[in-house]
Amino acid sequence: MASILLKNVVKSFGSFVGVQDMNLDVVDEEFLVLLGPSGCGKTTTMRMIAGLEHPTEGEIRIGGALMNDIDARDRDVAMVFQGYALYPNMSIYENIRFPLRMRQVPKAKHDDLIRRAAEMVELGPFLDRKPGALSGGQRQRAALARAIVRQPQVFLMDEPLSNLDAKLRASMRVQIKHMQRELKVTTVYVTHDQIEAMTLADRIVIMNKGVIQQIGTPDDIYSNPANTFVAGFIGSPPMNLIAGTAQNGTFSAAGVKVPCPASLSGNITLGIRPEDCQVGGDNLQGQVYGVEPTGDITYLTVRTANKNIEIKAGREFRAPIDSAIAVGFDTTRLYFFGEDGNRVGVK
Amino acid sequence: MASIRKSGGDNLLVRYIILVSWTLVCVVPILWFLTIGFRPRTEIIVPEPIYWPTWSLDAWRLLVSDWPIALYLRNSVVAVAGSVVIDLVLAIPAAFALARYEFKGREDIGFYILSTRMMAPAIVAVPIFFLFRNIGLLDSVWALMLIYAAINLSLVTWIIRSYMLDIPKELEDAARTDGAGDLTILWEIMIPACLPGIITAAVIAAIFAINEFLFTLLIASTSKAYTMSVALANFTGGSDGVIYNAIALVSFIAFAPILILVILIQKHLSRGLTMGAVKG
Ligand SMILES: Nc1ncnc2c1ncn2[C@@H]1O[C@H](COP(=O)(O)OP(=O)(O)OP(=O)(O)O)[C@@H](O)[C@H]1O
Ligand SMILES: [Mg+2]
Repeated sequence: MASILLKNVVKSFGSFVGVQDMNLDVVDEEFLVLLGPSGCGKTTTMRMIAGLEHPTEGEIRIGGALMNDIDARDRDVAMVFQGYALYPNMSIYENIRFPLRMRQVPKAKHDDLIRRAAEMVELGPFLDRKPGALSGGQRQRAALARAIVRQPQVFLMDEPLSNLDAKLRASMRVQIKHMQRELKVTTVYVTHDQIEAMTLADRIVIMNKGVIQQIGTPDDIYSNPANTFVAGFIGSPPMNLIAGTAQNGTFSAAGVKVPCPASLSGNITLGIRPEDCQVGGDNLQGQVYGVEPTGDITYLTVRTANKNIEIKAGREFRAPIDSAIAVGFDTTRLYFFGEDGNRVGVK
Repeated sequence: MASIRKSGGDNLLVRYIILVSWTLVCVVPILWFLTIGFRPRTEIIVPEPIYWPTWSLDAWRLLVSDWPIALYLRNSVVAVAGSVVIDLVLAIPAAFALARYEFKGREDIGFYILSTRMMAPAIVAVPIFFLFRNIGLLDSVWALMLIYAAINLSLVTWIIRSYMLDIPKELEDAARTDGAGDLTILWEIMIPACLPGIITAAVIAAIFAINEFLFTLLIASTSKAYTMSVALANFTGGSDGVIYNAIALVSFIAFAPILILVILIQKHLSRGLTMGAVKG
């Protein structure tokens, strides 16, 4: 329905900068996920798009139109709030109906729309209750239903599934994605949950301390992290980062030796994903620190002189603690980062 | 261990004794007062108290025959209820603005409003008298209504504001993104959400108004505008001496509506008073 454009957007709270010089272009009908640690500015970004917070600097456009001076009520976005924000004095039915009334949707359509939205989030039996009489997860679903009951230009969802149990979360995830494809509403979605980000997103925006670290497709973010922050944030367990030095085409750190592009020299950080390591080999020498079987794979932690390395070993792998172990890396999947943390040595 | 458990039982007993004593301390004077209203006058002014009253409707007859009690009661009710309505109509939007809008001098205005409460009423008594004389509103229930409203407006605004500050801002944000304007937000979200605070404020204002004496005495010069509180003073002097049983009865009549009101909304009120107290 509409693209969203953020151009050099800054948001300061007094001397504290919540969002720094943000440039973001959300394509029409795109599903964009904001991902980052707590306090990195995700909610603030959403609130600026919704018009609930004024950017200190920069431009915000929805569907090409400048939004900076447009009131939240006139922006035609629907938002799921992190704290649910259900109207306590209204029943769930009336809560879901509120946006329909405010946007002058013909009365005759209300009941149908409300029931369909409630059905979707499996809230049918609770429509007559007040928010106070619902569990956290039910409230969250009510908040979601209130947002999806009408078809706005933009959906903004601030951690809409954070309070649901794993099973419901998985099924809601699929439903949200399906609904978004069906309604073709541009969506910005905030989450802490990597799986959610990976499965839902057309593109992911990784943020840290108010600064965008990388924008890319889930594959891109996973396979080509732009810097050590993204590398260390994505994946579970995330990429191993080992500080060392590069010289004459060899990277070395305590107990570690791997080939690297000849162009690299000086202080370099090596990145290797746990699934690209295997037991046996000659790239790393260390001691077994911990072995955690989970059924389908076994997580192995290896201690080297200055760092613990996570490895996804085969399901059968077992070893006594403190025994010496040698590890091999898939040398086609090595990442190198310079002293500023940015990726270097990409062919 | 056993002794601890035993002392737990004692504690319960002690607790009940304290509660019952306190209840008696609160309720007995009221009941005693009520019996005074239904005793003959001769039974009240005696050297030894007479605990079991001889029931008599003397005071009641005196009130009904010599005294337009219905008029006074009506004046009180009209002036008090009207003033509370005026207060709410003015205070709710003011509280909303003070609680939610960012504007220059907001804190100063908030403090100024509260500070009007700190002034001794006698200071403004004379100017107020001339003001009302000039606009020709002396000796009128409407004037009392306005004065009561003015006296309580600051307090009512302050209490409601402190309630509104407690309502999460996200609620309003949600309403705004859903497409609601300021008035809808105030009417459909804020007022229902802080209803206990509004009720509390209204009851407190009503209590202050019904007890108001100084300005009522100033404005009401004939029985046309007398309220219960001022009319009561008529019994304390005069050639008949102090008519205690009638005073007691009138006091009780003045006090009963508030008592009933408070009992009816007790649940909201106790929560309201503590919340208001904490937020100050
Ligand atoms: N009104 C405000 N005044 C001052 N600082 C604020 C305000 N709102 C947010 N911040 C700060 O801005 C930063 C970003 O906040 P934001 O709510 O956007 O984080 P977030 O990424 O949504 O975090 P979370 O995942 O915990 O919800 C935080 O450090 C926060 O303390
Ligand atoms: Mg947040």
